[in-house]
Amino acid sequence: MTDSPALPAPPWRIAVDVGGTFTDMVLVDAGGRFHVFKTPSVPADPSRGVLDVLEHAARAFGADVGRLLSDCALFLHGSTVATNTVLEGRGARVGMLVTRGFRDFLEARRGFRANPFDHRPPYPPVLVPRYLRRPVGGRMDARGAEVEPLDEADLDAAIETFRAEGVESVAVCLLHSFENGAHERRCAEGLHARGGFEWVSLSHEVAPIIGEYERGSTTVVNAYVGPKVVRYLQALDERLRTLGLGPDLLVLQSNGRAISTRQVAHCPVNLVLSGPAGGVGALDYFAAATGFDDLITMEIGGTSCDVMLRAGGRVAVTDRLEVGGYDLVSASVDIHTVGAGGGTIAGADAAGLLFAGPRGAGAVPGPAAYGRGGEEPTVTDAQLVLGRLAPGPYAGGAVSLDLERARAALRTRVAEPLGIGVREAAIGVIRLVEQNLLQAVERISIERGRDPARFVLVAGGGAGPMHGAAVGRRLGARGVLVPRLAGVFCALGMLNADVGQDFTRVFIAPLDEDTMDEVRSVYAGLEGDARAWLREGGFETGAMRFEPEADLRYAGQQWDVRVTDAKADVGKLRAAFEREHDRLFGHVQPDSTVELTRLRVVGIGTLPPLVPARAEPGGPMPVPVSTREVYAFGPRGEPLGFAPTPVYRGADLLAGHRLDGPLLVEERTTTVVAGPGDRLEVLASGDLFIRFDHS
Amino acid sequence: MTLDPVQLALTQNRLDYITRQMGEVMVRTARSPIFSQAHDFTCFVCGPDGWLVSQADGIPIHSGGGGFAVRAVLRDFADDIEPGDVFVLNDPWRAGGNHLPDWVVARPVFVDGRRVAFCCNRAHQSDIGGGAPGTYNPLAHDTWQEGVRLPALKLISRGETRRDLWRLLLANSRTPELQDGDLRAMVGATRIGAERVAEFAGEVSADQALALFDGILDHAERRMRAALAALPDGVYEGADHSDNDCFEPRDVAVRARLTIEGDGARVDLSESSPQIRGFKNSTWANTCSSVYTAFASFFEPDIPRNEGTFRAVEIIAPEGSIVNATEGAATTMCTVFVAHEIIHACWKALGAASPEQACAGWAKNVFGITTGRHGDGRRYVLYHGLAAAGAGAVEGRDGFNQIGHLCTLGGLVMPSLEVYEQLYPVRYRRCEFRRDGGGAGEWRGGTGVEYEIDVHTEGTWSFRGEGLRYRTGYGAAAGLDGEGGEMEVHPVGAPTFAAPKFGLRELGPARLVVSSPGGGGFGDPLDRDPEQVLRDVRDAMISTESAFDVYGVVLTPGGRTVDTDATLRRRAALRQNVTSSSKAP
Repeated sequence: MTDSPALPAPPWRIAVDVGGTFTDMVLVDAGGRFHVFKTPSVPADPSRGVLDVLEHAARAFGADVGRLLSDCALFLHGSTVATNTVLEGRGARVGMLVTRGFRDFLEARRGFRANPFDHRPPYPPVLVPRYLRRPVGGRMDARGAEVEPLDEADLDAAIETFRAEGVESVAVCLLHSFENGAHERRCAEGLHARGGFEWVSLSHEVAPIIGEYERGSTTVVNAYVGPKVVRYLQALDERLRTLGLGPDLLVLQSNGRAISTRQVAHCPVNLVLSGPAGGVGALDYFAAATGFDDLITMEIGGTSCDVMLRAGGRVAVTDRLEVGGYDLVSASVDIHTVGAGGGTIAGADAAGLLFAGPRGAGAVPGPAAYGRGGEEPTVTDAQLVLGRLAPGPYAGGAVSLDLERARAALRTRVAEPLGIGVREAAIGVIRLVEQNLLQAVERISIERGRDPARFVLVAGGGAGPMHGAAVGRRLGARGVLVPRLAGVFCALGMLNADVGQDFTRVFIAPLDEDTMDEVRSVYAGLEGDARAWLREGGFETGAMRFEPEADLRYAGQQWDVRVTDAKADVGKLRAAFEREHDRLFGHVQPDSTVELTRLRVVGIGTLPPLVPARAEPGGPMPVPVSTREVYAFGPRGEPLGFAPTPVYRGADLLAGHRLDGPLLVEERTTTVVAGPGDRLEVLASGDLFIRFDHS
Repeated sequence: MTLDPVQLALTQNRLDYITRQMGEVMVRTARSPIFSQAHDFTCFVCGPDGWLVSQADGIPIHSGGGGFAVRAVLRDFADDIEPGDVFVLNDPWRAGGNHLPDWVVARPVFVDGRRVAFCCNRAHQSDIGGGAPGTYNPLAHDTWQEGVRLPALKLISRGETRRDLWRLLLANSRTPELQDGDLRAMVGATRIGAERVAEFAGEVSADQALALFDGILDHAERRMRAALAALPDGVYEGADHSDNDCFEPRDVAVRARLTIEGDGARVDLSESSPQIRGFKNSTWANTCSSVYTAFASFFEPDIPRNEGTFRAVEIIAPEGSIVNATEGAATTMCTVFVAHEIIHACWKALGAASPEQACAGWAKNVFGITTGRHGDGRRYVLYHGLAAAGAGAVEGRDGFNQIGHLCTLGGLVMPSLEVYEQLYPVRYRRCEFRRDGGGAGEWRGGTGVEYEIDVHTEGTWSFRGEGLRYRTGYGAAAGLDGEGGEMEVHPVGAPTFAAPKFGLRELGPARLVVSSPGGGGFGDPLDRDPEQVLRDVRDAMISTESAFDVYGVVLTPGGRTVDTDATLRRRAALRQNVTSSSKAP
């Protein structure tokens, strides 16, 4: 092990985000500088992908992996292993214990189907077959009082069945267990002691919420992914330790907060959005780096666009999500995804109507221009025809774009069926996709009571910077931020994450003075749980933070509203609730009774935040590397025509530079498009910012 | 005028988005759970002449009604339609309504002084008066017993709300606060929609907007005609029956005679039964919606659903029949039953034309409502919706179990019983799939549930047991029918009785025991994958007996694997029996 001159000053922090196609790594050194690495993922063995990218980075520094790890103060990891286990149907063989008489809520799914008219496809297969959903006598009532004791003989019979059937992991979901988990805990004891089962998921621990279907489905997914996910993470942790890593391997959870591999064993279901949730830390970082507090991100990759919102210093969160058709309740960042990306397929339907999406061409065959056998035109092909992309090497040289193939695909699949020219076809595809992107952003802003005029749109991913200015302008946003590190958005965000976990309790009671003592004591209990959890994770009291939250609703309403920074104070809770209710639903009901439904304490172990580097303005004005004919669109997306457009190299743009559109900026893995009337400037952080006439 | 195909695609996409946004506003601003939870409403945009152009957000049984309502406004108000006006209506005979509880709010949209569109919604109200709380009066035998009738009324005139009229509407509801809030939500949603449509029409010009609306209708018509052209020309028949008129046993038939000629279809319902005394008579708008639902669900789901789509389908429904009742008939239940029978009759006829696309029948629901009071006097209304019926199978998919109404294509979300035990004075004893409930087939019909609940207070029980005691989920393509429903009531300290099909009962605390009915199977049960039959047996979804008798599958001792040789022999023997004698059960 020798010191290399290229190695930055220790200690450093490392984040590795394993995505479907690429494994991204960001190392931030003691001086706050970022070093970015990318290698192909190894879907069959994701830990191989982690080691590959580490070796690649080590080589670049002229060091070895041991050196890289031994001076690493913090190692964060985002992984799609939980999601892929579900999507590929490769989880554990799961048995389920349910209250006698109620075997089927998991399979009935409350009848959830996205589009009723689309009734021919079946549901995704149920994760626990009915013959492994075993009934257990015993009943709690709606207040958690025992009506009938647990039937131990049923439990024994179920254990016998599970053993005979080779069940590896057991989910327990008994009625009203969120009010009283005693019967579930008794089941766990039996399953451990008499059945020898190592993997037991209890619904009142995994998802303490009301609703047997949602709680049960979450618990089953937890049991289903648990063995595979936990073994993978523990093996990776061990491997990295052997190679020299000192601290615990931290994994990013769906809520954007990290957890140590030792502690994740109880709740692997919380890892289903492990990668994309890196966006939370990334948004916090961009806010700090640019001074814009309210941000909406639009991260566009090959087939989809993820939209996320940060307002008032917080990234919007939800606790409902769906993976592969399975419904989950798990604290997670609120991501709205639409099928609009570079590889989105366009065409004309049987009756001559243009469409774009939701189907995508994927990495293989990819857009027609890749020349890998793709026959169908994609958004990337349309960009090429309009001059916004240039023929030749693309995506850091990974592929080469062939203009003639793009034109041919658009001609046969769009232009000829519609009786228009190839250029008009390309214009149509871009306009339709940008209209869909605009609607996706409006959905999480306007439709949730947020005025887009307050927000800066963050355009990330390989294709985001091509659409950012057009969408931001039509949205009426303050401007568009194109981060230089947009390509490793999530890995960057992981480096800015804290450790944290939600601790919740269902608590249904009227919001009045009589309940406040109990509220205080529940909060105290939850905070105690959170404190113990953080201490176990190695945090000192000074590095702990506790955020009490409450869910409330008007009596009789079906869904509730989350209030952050909650105090056990009737007046303050009511006021905070009504503020949120007014924002979300447009009205308040001053005379109606308000109920509490859930109390929550978010326990946070703070890690040192990333400190944005700031460059001094200056440097010579950049000179375009070329000028080419690029198609321009007006403020409402209306087509204007081709115009000679200067093309800049990203590396030539330095802090303080200001340029007027139309122009293109070619970065290594993306191209930034600014239209006529747009003004682009380089911020002190080095990131690009596009302003409009109105901003 | 030749249309820019790009602009056409942008316009359709944008109008669909606007109707969804109107739906969002409805959900967000409404007070009653009918909007926010059950989503029992539809938002739509019509052209200036009333033709429905877009309704991306909506429930199936509202598919075809929107245009009738707006055309009634045009007929009654002709030159008296001004910017800032808003209309409300519900009447099936005077105003193109489908049934009285569904109110339509319609707002004209003007650009440069020209009317370019109407933004509208149709939504189920909490209570509109009539003979029973909650809009459904099972004892009604005329429309006046069902609630307030509204011809097209100008609710807002040039931006000024007619307060007298608003008060009249609220005065006719048992739940005026909900009515007030929901009406505001409906009006507010049309305002947002109108702003957005006006913005669009302003961008492209009024002329261009109207041409684009026509282009959208034409495109949808071409899509539907292409689907119809793929069916062989001919005359196909389908019928479905009810066994009661809400008061007494009686055969009530819906008979569809479908003529496919080139790329057009005609559905002639002339041979259907005369109208009945009870509240299941269909109105013209509801019959059209039912036929459209059957067609739209039969073909690809991405065919647009606007009035262009259905220009290709001509409907004949004689006045005075169960499918087009004369003015004054009781009709409230028709959006569920007889809609169900109309959809079934059309599906059967379509299935005769295209057997591989055939849809097996969805069982008719049996559950009703219990209303009573909590210990502290608060009123509760409990729908026994968990006792839902099973859906029919199609090629490639077993029927959905415990799914609910055909008229929504199962789109309403089932309640959570944990939530219900918190909200209502009840305890559930059982709710799980019924064995052998779904019709056998290569693809098995969805099964219903065994449902048992104790209701702890006295209350009024409203029965709607249409699917009780006969088989309603028909099998398709040699698939078998699903089982009929059963329902018993066990009042504490009083004799047990079988539930009536329709009617009201005052009861003390009681236990309700239901076997909800099953949907039909698709294809010959002898063609079902034996491994799937094994799984069904292991899952106790079917019995070993029906595996042997109906599916011809023999399991090895212990029941853990299929005995392949014995199964081949058994299936050959059963096939022999079918050809030589009559059919298996």
